[in-house]
Amino acid sequence: MKLGKFPPWLALLMPAIVLLAAVVLVPLVLSFYSSFTSYKLTKPDTLYNWIGTFNYQKAAGDIYFWTAFGRTVLLLTVALNLEMVLGLGLALMVSKVTRGQRLLRTMMMFPMMFSPILVGFQFKFIFNDNVGLVNNTLQSLGLTTTAIPWLVDAHLAMFSIISAEIWTSTSVFAILILAGLYAMPQDPLEAAKVDGCTPLQSFRFVTLPFLMPFIYIAMAIRSLDVARAYDIVQIMTNGGPARRTELLWTLIGRTGYVDAKMGYANAMGYISILLAIFFTVYFFRKLTAARAELGMAL
Amino acid sequence: MASNQSHRMRRRGLKIAHFIGLFLAMSVICIPGLWIVLNSFRPTVEIMAKPPVWIPNDLNLDHYRAMFGAVGEGGVPVLTYFRNSLIISVTSTVIAILIGMAGGYAFARYRFKGKAAIFIALMVTRAVPGVALSLPLFIIYARVGLIDTHIGMIVTYVAMNVPFTIWLIDGFFRQVPRELAEAAEIDGCTRWQAFWRVEFPVARSGIASAGIFAFLTSWNEYALASQLTRSVTSKTMPVGLLDFTSEFTLNWGGMCALAVLMIIPALVLTFLVQKHLIAGLTFGGVKG
Amino acid sequence: MAQVHLRNLIKAYGALQVVHAINLDIADGEFVVLVGPSGCGKSTTLRMIAGLEDISGGEIAIGERVVNDLPPRDRNISMVFQNYALYPHMTVRENLGFSLKIAKRPQADIDVAVNKAADILSLTPLMDRRPAALSGGQRQRVAMGRAIVRHPEVFLFDEPLSNLDAKLRTQMRVEIKKLHQRLGSTIVYVTHDQVEAMTLADRIVIMRDGHIEQVGTPIEVFDNPVNTFVATFIGSPPMNLLEGRVDQGAVVLTDGSRLPIPPRYTAAQGAAVTYGIRADNIMPVGHALPAGDHIATVDMAVTLSEPLGTETLLFAELAGTEVQAKMLNPRPVRGRETMTFQIALDKCHLFDAATGSALRRA
Repeated sequence: MKLGKFPPWLALLMPAIVLLAAVVLVPLVLSFYSSFTSYKLTKPDTLYNWIGTFNYQKAAGDIYFWTAFGRTVLLLTVALNLEMVLGLGLALMVSKVTRGQRLLRTMMMFPMMFSPILVGFQFKFIFNDNVGLVNNTLQSLGLTTTAIPWLVDAHLAMFSIISAEIWTSTSVFAILILAGLYAMPQDPLEAAKVDGCTPLQSFRFVTLPFLMPFIYIAMAIRSLDVARAYDIVQIMTNGGPARRTELLWTLIGRTGYVDAKMGYANAMGYISILLAIFFTVYFFRKLTAARAELGMAL
Repeated sequence: MASNQSHRMRRRGLKIAHFIGLFLAMSVICIPGLWIVLNSFRPTVEIMAKPPVWIPNDLNLDHYRAMFGAVGEGGVPVLTYFRNSLIISVTSTVIAILIGMAGGYAFARYRFKGKAAIFIALMVTRAVPGVALSLPLFIIYARVGLIDTHIGMIVTYVAMNVPFTIWLIDGFFRQVPRELAEAAEIDGCTRWQAFWRVEFPVARSGIASAGIFAFLTSWNEYALASQLTRSVTSKTMPVGLLDFTSEFTLNWGGMCALAVLMIIPALVLTFLVQKHLIAGLTFGGVKG
Repeated sequence: MAQVHLRNLIKAYGALQVVHAINLDIADGEFVVLVGPSGCGKSTTLRMIAGLEDISGGEIAIGERVVNDLPPRDRNISMVFQNYALYPHMTVRENLGFSLKIAKRPQADIDVAVNKAADILSLTPLMDRRPAALSGGQRQRVAMGRAIVRHPEVFLFDEPLSNLDAKLRTQMRVEIKKLHQRLGSTIVYVTHDQVEAMTLADRIVIMRDGHIEQVGTPIEVFDNPVNTFVATFIGSPPMNLLEGRVDQGAVVLTDGSRLPIPPRYTAAQGAAVTYGIRADNIMPVGHALPAGDHIATVDMAVTLSEPLGTETLLFAELAGTEVQAKMLNPRPVRGRETMTFQIALDKCHLFDAATGSALRRA
């Protein structure tokens, strides 16, 4: 290697590292700094007003913050798990189809093309209590006469949000799991049949362990952009009514832009960033472990 | 014999259940989208009718006419938004692919210390929620004058797409046997030529699909765009959707028409990419 | 232990029929090998016995029980797959014990059965490894162990040795044969390798294009092939086939040379026939005498020789056809040397040129 020259891999990675440092790392450092100030958008000078960990203490003592935090974790847990189970079911059903599988696969990817903001509007419309598709259908079928307040009642609103989130993201799981099913060698399955497994047991003891890395890939990918849900929630309820569906992201957005309390918003933002990073690293770890178990790390 | 019979019955039962399940799932997947397409052709009165009008009796192109003529309610400059979206998405995709190719190649072909850690570090940057990132980004862009510019959005989206693009392209390059490049080098190519003449063409279709994926992400992004764009000069279509809302009313029909305009390119591209996308993710992830 | 009966067994994919109404009775404890070129339907037949393929027509019975629509788990069989089909996420011990665990057998029983199988196949030191950490031969043994542990009525083997290298294959062949002697169970074994078929089988079933061509002991199918397909498929090198026409008790080859009709065969005057001679039955004069009373001689120019140590394989030309002959007690052969060969007529064969069927004397 010549002196004073980068190793080739570093040279190749440089553009990516420089760019991400500029657009992600520097802002994060800035937001980390500003989270220790009383920075307000409307008063630029406050950026230099060091207030120590005040914002964090404020967040720690803020009941709204903790409800939003808890609700976000709950939403993610429920949504990710349901998406995984539904995606698994969908992938299994599609993989068993003998004719027209390509068409089904394309249809399955349909929701992925929708901008999350669009999904938000779409489901806001569908769950509209007055003219929404859901209530119209229920009423036309005579199942109910009242207008169910899908987006107003706290539980129903969470249900509606989760439905929208599941609608957009289940396909990510379904597609990756389907890829896993395609990649799966058939003979261990046949061996399991011969070894006396019922279809359910074959699934439990052979198919599922094999699919685990694929499920973790899907989890990792999903946890990378799980905050897309922000767009959906912002449009559907924007955390309301009366904070009943408040999530970390809507709380941050409102505190930062509407209330202009950037310092405080950044402090909360930091907590949500750590949460996202935790999920991502966790699933990458799981992925590596599952891969090693199957002897796939070639 | 009896057990032969019952097994046959059970198989038939499972088949029927399978069919019904699949039908229901596909309905749930398709109906919300089709509902939007249908409503974009219906007059607002009919969309909002109570009791509902199930069978449309007046389908027309009014919303599209209003949208392109910019004479509808509020006069939303849809074509400008479309142009902004296109410029920002295409440019950022091209740059993200170039950077992603360099990075992906580094991960696929070189061994170095801390490879896994660097990889995860790059991925984690993607995990930063848009809202959380938009706050400091907003402050910086405001200082350096990148707010409400194409450049600002392009740089942002490139950064957003690079981690995932690297992941995908890494996977595609791994599928290209190392021997191929080595053979080319023995045949007299430089490393650079070996890459462009041998490895790149082989991985080309995969790289193209990584590109389409990056394009879709930029095309559909909202959280950052809604803060970093301010006016017609740089607003993208997802942000433009909000123009159809006002304090108390929502122009559903017009919004649906814009939605259709947003979906069509996405639909075409997704259709092209689906096969490679699956392959890229699985190779990158599982064989890693 | 049990017999296996196939009655008019058919497999069709849509309009394409791949197994044509075959009939086969396999006795209790018998080692039957299905052999044939790829695409002959042998694997499909085995998979139908296993229950991994649906049956399009006919009947399969294991023991006295018709199993047509039974799932594999209710057939009391076990199978060794070509690619071993080990469960990648389980250790060797878990792989071996899996079927018993599924059958909810007490752990103590499972341990006994697993340890016994491991002992038989010398897997004991590998018990806690995963398949990815095993060599090809070891995986093969685990796959066999998994089959043994179940104590099935019928063992099915689907080309189990085809992924092993030549040396290991010979070794495993012996192991399988010993295993059969030890367990005395019914085995149906599929292979495309006629040497495996010959060495392992009690009875060989030769298949082609979804039909059974011949069933018999290895010696029967070797000595009395029913047609040219079996004649060339079984035995190495393949039997030499020469085209000719019958004329007054002899076959006139295309170059006019005459070979007497083999004693066990008969053919009408003028009939178009195919003359079959194995390389073992055509030898140069002075290099071991072919057995039997009826001897014919021909002169042939040798084009190529392959020394194999104890014998040399000679490639020569007779009536425009390449013929392989054996030379025992070999000596060096010069290029294009013309030699006189003796043919043991008692071991020669005659087939109908049009249908390929053997023209055996009634």
